Amino acid sequence: MNKLLNRPLKAFTLYALLVLACSIPVYYFIVDYIWRSELDEYNEIVKSRIESGLNKLSLHKDEWEKTIALWNKTQPGTKIEKSLLRVSPPDSIYTIMRGKQSASEEDLERYRGLSSYIKVQGELYHLTIEINVEEAHETVFAIAAVTVLFFIILLAGFVILNRRIATQIWKPFHSTLDRLKSFDLNSQNNINLEKSDIQEFEQLNQALYQLIAKNISVFRQQKEFTENASHELQTPLAVLKSKIDLLMQNESLTESQSELIASLNMPLSRVSRINKNLLLLAKIENQQFAEDELINMTELVNQNLEFLGEHLIAKNNTVEMEIDEDSSVTANKSLVEIMLVNLLLNAIRHSQENGTIRIKLTDKDLIISNTGNNPLNKDTLFKRFITSSSNTPSSGLGLAIVKEIAYRYNWQVEYQFVNYFHQFSIHFRPQD
Amino acid sequence: MKILIIEDEKELAQNISAYLSDENYLCEFAETFQQALDKIEVYNYDCILLDLMLPGGDGLKILEELKKHDKQDGVIIISAKDSLNDKIAGLQIGADDYLAKPFHLSELAARIYSVIRRKQFGNSNIIKLHELQIDLLAKTILVNNEPVILTKKEFDLLLLFIGNKNRVISKSALAEHLSGDIADMLDNHDFVYAHIKNMKKKLVDAGYRNYLKTIYGTGYKWEA
Repeated sequence: MNKLLNRPLKAFTLYALLVLACSIPVYYFIVDYIWRSELDEYNEIVKSRIESGLNKLSLHKDEWEKTIALWNKTQPGTKIEKSLLRVSPPDSIYTIMRGKQSASEEDLERYRGLSSYIKVQGELYHLTIEINVEEAHETVFAIAAVTVLFFIILLAGFVILNRRIATQIWKPFHSTLDRLKSFDLNSQNNINLEKSDIQEFEQLNQALYQLIAKNISVFRQQKEFTENASHELQTPLAVLKSKIDLLMQNESLTESQSELIASLNMPLSRVSRINKNLLLLAKIENQQFAEDELINMTELVNQNLEFLGEHLIAKNNTVEMEIDEDSSVTANKSLVEIMLVNLLLNAIRHSQENGTIRIKLTDKDLIISNTGNNPLNKDTLFKRFITSSSNTPSSGLGLAIVKEIAYRYNWQVEYQFVNYFHQFSIHFRPQD
Repeated sequence: MKILIIEDEKELAQNISAYLSDENYLCEFAETFQQALDKIEVYNYDCILLDLMLPGGDGLKILEELKKHDKQDGVIIISAKDSLNDKIAGLQIGADDYLAKPFHLSELAARIYSVIRRKQFGNSNIIKLHELQIDLLAKTILVNNEPVILTKKEFDLLLLFIGNKNRVISKSALAEHLSGDIADMLDNHDFVYAHIKNMKKKLVDAGYRNYLKTIYGTGYKWEA
């Protein structure tokens, strides 16, 4: 994954490289052009100086010829020749590559020349002035070297600036991110984001505040609804239950009436149970079980096994136990007991005739398994109101409660189907 | 025996009263916090059934008021709240028992019976019924002065029947009494039948005449 800030850096670097690369030939042409025009100007100046200088001399014809010859010998780069033409043609400017007199022929030098005609004392003379120009390849090399140097400076600047901007400007962003990560909807505490003077981050924070506040309120309403609804249902259920108990006392009931009344009890107690479980879930979510204590799991498991013993053997199940001495956890005792009973009942309810129920308890985990034919759906198993089998109706909340309790204590709940065993495990120390 | 039912749900109060109305019990009602306060100030009751959420105030305040005036009335809290904290708070202030709604009337009757017995007989809490003699504190049973050993569950069942003499108790009420909240999680209530059968056999073997009648296979009745 790329960092957001590194993307523009890459683009900027590439762009800078492109611009600087293009600038090399442009610089070269501009420098060369300026140079040439400066030299042309200089040649013109030299020419007019020579012309006026020579015109000021008043010499005889002999002397004149000697002077010209002397001039040609002593003034390198200029040459004066007597012209045979009568009218002076226009000046011409040229560039020529020529070997140095002293060096080998390959070492060519570039010269800028002016070929002109001057009139000295009525005679037309052909004047050529040449001046050495820096070679093209040397100029290009120097410009390229300077450009590369600047590019490196630019790049280093980009990286340093990038790093500094990343740590400073992104600080509020990272702080918001950290707080979002640690936010728990269940805790119902409003989130507190760090203030930022950057508009975008402040907008982000405001949007987050709104989103979270809305979520919290919806979540709270939902939980309050569950809790209130369950609460309100308790009393009518109590009335209903008491009515049935009263009705049973009627002496004149026939057998079929009596059976009908008795059959009302089963669904009624199921509704009561669902209701109680919903209330329990709402309470766990609302963290109304605050006090944790050190619980001796070995003792707790043994107690509940004793209590459920008759049900364990009712289906002619074999019970295999492997319980470590002195296993303990720190949690709310009634919650742990609810979790344990729910798991045990789950195994009892869904075990087969003549099957096996295994209970394993160590310091690290509790594993309860029972024989079965087909694996259960892992995805929906711990969801509310999802019963795995239709022939044994339950409240559909037992495993949801197990999961909620485990979540509260950061224990890991796991379901596996191993060798025709439904295996439910609670890992008390998942990080080990 | 005078019982005060502090409950704002009229119908539930009347059902309780109807269930308890034999020659031994006389029920009075209070529907609001103020009514309840007025009644407990003037009269004494053998047992008070107290709902915690009342119009006009918290039921726990009534409990505090009772303790302040050093009244000896037995109190059973009947509440829709069933969290452990509520139970602990109620019992710490001085309630004798706590029953969460919804409950079976037979369960309530058994608890009223046991609260009244405890209040009235102090340390020697012995129930005598024909040739049966039960020591509630020692949890021992004598039939014709011969000890009979019952399991804890059989003993619990016996007390439920004694507290509901001449009333029909449904199988599901028995199952809930024996296994508490988990009763309806179990596939069937046959285990109740097994315990009753064992209890009956032990008592009859020791010479107790059979007073326990089965009502159409849907419930049981202890006729005495």
